[in-house]
Amino acid sequence: MTVLGYLANGLVFSSIIVLGSIGLSLVYSIADFANFAHGDTMTVGAYSALVTFGAVGGLGGAVLGLPYGFFLALVAGIAVAAVVAVGTEKLVYEPLDVDSIGLLITSIGIAFIYRAVIQIRFGSDFTRFGIQPLRPIEALVPYGVRVTLHDVAIVGSAVVLVGGLHVLLQYTDLGRKMRAMADNPDLARVSGIRTKRVKLWTWVIGAGLAGAGGVFLGLFNQLSPRMGFNLLLVIFAAVILGGIGSVYGAMAGGFLIGMINQLTPFFSNVVEALPIWPGWLAALLESLISIEYANAIAFVIMVAVLLVRPNGIAGEGAT
Amino acid sequence: MSEGALPKDDAVLRVDDLQKSFGGLAATDHATFAVERGTITGLIGPNGAGKSTLFNLISGFYEPDGGTVEVNGTDVTGMEPYQVADHGLIRTFQTPRKLEGMTVREAMLVGPRNQPGESFVNLFARPGTVGESESTNLAEAERILEEFEIDHLATQPATDISGGQMKLVELARAMLAEPEVLLLDEPVAGVNPTLAKKLKDQIRRLNEQGTTFLLIEHDMEFVMDLADPIVVLDQGSVLTEGTPEEVQGDDRVIDAYLGGGT
Amino acid sequence: MSLLSDPKAAVDDLSRPEAWVLGVSVAFALFLLGALLTGALGPTYFLFLVGLAGMYALLSFGLNAQWGFTGLINFSVAAFFGIGAYGSALMTADSSPIAGGFNPLVGLAVALVVAFVLALLIGIPTLRLRADYLAIASLGLAEVVRLIVLNERWLTNGSAGVRGIPSFFEGWPVFSTLPETMPGLRLVVIPGSPILLGTSFWRASLNVLLVLAFAGATFFVLRRAHRSPWGRVLRTIRSDEDLARALGKNTYSYKMQSFVLGSLIMALAGVFYTHLNLYVGPGDLDPITTFYAWVAVILGGSGSNRGALFGGIVIVTIREGTRFLNDVALPIDPAPLRLLLIGVVIVAVMRYRPQGILPPQRELIWPSAVDDRDPPDPPSSGVREQKGGGGDE
Repeated sequence: MTVLGYLANGLVFSSIIVLGSIGLSLVYSIADFANFAHGDTMTVGAYSALVTFGAVGGLGGAVLGLPYGFFLALVAGIAVAAVVAVGTEKLVYEPLDVDSIGLLITSIGIAFIYRAVIQIRFGSDFTRFGIQPLRPIEALVPYGVRVTLHDVAIVGSAVVLVGGLHVLLQYTDLGRKMRAMADNPDLARVSGIRTKRVKLWTWVIGAGLAGAGGVFLGLFNQLSPRMGFNLLLVIFAAVILGGIGSVYGAMAGGFLIGMINQLTPFFSNVVEALPIWPGWLAALLESLISIEYANAIAFVIMVAVLLVRPNGIAGEGAT
Repeated sequence: MSEGALPKDDAVLRVDDLQKSFGGLAATDHATFAVERGTITGLIGPNGAGKSTLFNLISGFYEPDGGTVEVNGTDVTGMEPYQVADHGLIRTFQTPRKLEGMTVREAMLVGPRNQPGESFVNLFARPGTVGESESTNLAEAERILEEFEIDHLATQPATDISGGQMKLVELARAMLAEPEVLLLDEPVAGVNPTLAKKLKDQIRRLNEQGTTFLLIEHDMEFVMDLADPIVVLDQGSVLTEGTPEEVQGDDRVIDAYLGGGT
Repeated sequence: MSLLSDPKAAVDDLSRPEAWVLGVSVAFALFLLGALLTGALGPTYFLFLVGLAGMYALLSFGLNAQWGFTGLINFSVAAFFGIGAYGSALMTADSSPIAGGFNPLVGLAVALVVAFVLALLIGIPTLRLRADYLAIASLGLAEVVRLIVLNERWLTNGSAGVRGIPSFFEGWPVFSTLPETMPGLRLVVIPGSPILLGTSFWRASLNVLLVLAFAGATFFVLRRAHRSPWGRVLRTIRSDEDLARALGKNTYSYKMQSFVLGSLIMALAGVFYTHLNLYVGPGDLDPITTFYAWVAVILGGSGSNRGALFGGIVIVTIREGTRFLNDVALPIDPAPLRLLLIGVVIVAVMRYRPQGILPPQRELIWPSAVDDRDPPDPPSSGVREQKGGGGDE
């Protein structure tokens, strides 16, 4: 595959990571805790779409190689993820009398409950949406780019969703309140913002985007009860890279981490081609920069960011 | 009288041209003043004058953008809070800090600096020494609690006492750290008048025994009665310094308070 | 107030949750005894379970030294456990792709050194920052360690795992041959179903002895540390790190010490597991181990060592109970069931009893310093949880 090919794959994967990292960052700044159940919220979205798609079927026509029914399933995935998250906030997080660290630990319990329920119902095996896989788009193959119409659909939908969020944050009353709360929750409260309501909308938006990310991840790869939890590390890396609490930082971080993740085989080729000396270093780099370690590379980037710029690439210097 | 220019032969704390800004807004703007050994120096100023920021800069919680802080003649600028404390400067916080799961006397025992038992190795290599110092510290803690007339609280949970009592405990604990200069952030905020008077008496007594104080306080009556000299801060820099009478008669101070909070 | 000299007073002195835990433990012990005597539970398997409970107790002690004492959120318990297990396995096993064949004590030392280095590596970037950064980074660390064990076949045998691990007492005088030299016993409690105690029983007994030694030594160290000025600084950091800094404590250094200590204890649990199970594989690094330890610690009471001990027993019950349920009653896959139980317990504890069932309750002052003087007034509702309060709503 060519560089262009890797970049194209990176773009698709990045779209999914961005959808996940935005929600995590929103909840982090407005509900004020690191939500370890965010990955499993993606899984909830994916499986909800799976069930819906199984129930409604293709519904006749198709866009970009995807049956109409799939888009209905996507909406269902977003909706169910949002409803589940709001329900969890109302039933679990809100009544809790603990600090943000306590909420963080609770969210791990929530993550396990989501995953366990899915695993009990669907088993632990991989599964797929029953959609015919497509061949790569012919016109692009000569450039070494092997993307399908499905991939185009993923990127396109992600752009629409992220664009919608941008409009919401910048041009609506709710968006202004959300930004105010993210900046300074106490100030927002005294200035008369109904923080409880804003927080609920944050859950709806954050979990909805995560649900969409989960559905696309299922389309891009496969579905499994662990799919979301496995992605959690990558999403956290993206959020930290972008600076915790910054939604636009999370977009940038998600984009970068997703790209790097998919470019790993390319980097590995580069390392092989480079005359690295001494030999053991070349061998070490070659063995470490490989597809098996794509998640580990996200981790290394995250640790490096924590060492150098704990507030993220976009944030102000260390405090 | 010029700004912050009282003669200071024996300054225990010297702040020179200190600067700090947040997101382009100057919170501390070239602040310069000194605290003479043996005084109770008051630090006043309208809301948003930058008093708490200044405390955080002096005690090492914030890193200044420019300027220096000297404690006992040592430059402590940019040091970690624990290093600043090691040079003899201890601070308290505006809201009393709660130590969950500790009794009052346990919470007191956090105060003494450089206890032998704070080294993990000593716990097993020199348990005798650890025990001795713990006995000494405990006796000292109980003595101070008695002096503060709160010894009856010793075995109460540190979280179950009133806000005013917490302030007393906090002051008592700070004394166990044997500070040369003690920074108090609003010692009587939210404290009932009886306890406030008690706190005032204690601060005065401790000062007579040799501790230097620098205190932020909004209660004007309290600070004017207790402190001398008084440093007035406005918009991040020192507006003036003088005796309570001088400060109260200064038009610039009155202007700052009337136009303050913007 | 020893339980033996004056049992009634000792029981009266217990708080409600303490009495509860005691009651449940006694009932559980009786149940196990019954199962043993009727032959429903083989004595060797029983001892294996005791060893496992000891191992989880050790893991919980380790996490308690981090989260319970200092408030450090470590989500890579499984990684440090795995480092301990693989470190000793790779040093001692016949099938080890690297060294192999060393004395288990060498394995122990290597495992602890590797865990020490890893704890420093993850502590340096995160312990200066807010508590949640360690949580996130440690989750990543666990994943990275798992990936390395899975992929670096030259080092770890990859997914095949490491076999041929000797017993911990291999090469020791007396102990190494003890199981073979002990006589086989035949107990008949219920006529017709004799209980045989052979070599494997004695081997399992030795393992129990080993874990008792590990856990006992750890408990001793942690109890002393917890009551010391050192432990007090950690507890201050947990409540309010800024206060500790203002009082002249180098909190970064203390957090590092607490983190390293806990990580070493987790590695110790891994070393024991290696010699208990005699096989380690990448599956042993499953994140679930981490959250078993978490459940044990928050359930038992953060900061409470005896709580962690109790939590260890609960975990074995969850693990084996789900297996039993699957075998005997309901054919539900035990894996998601365990996950569900862990999740529900975490949420329930945070909701209804964030301080855990057995929070530390007595004043923690160096013993000799308080013994010199009058004991605090007995009704010192002290830190002691008020009887009938709190839990009674």
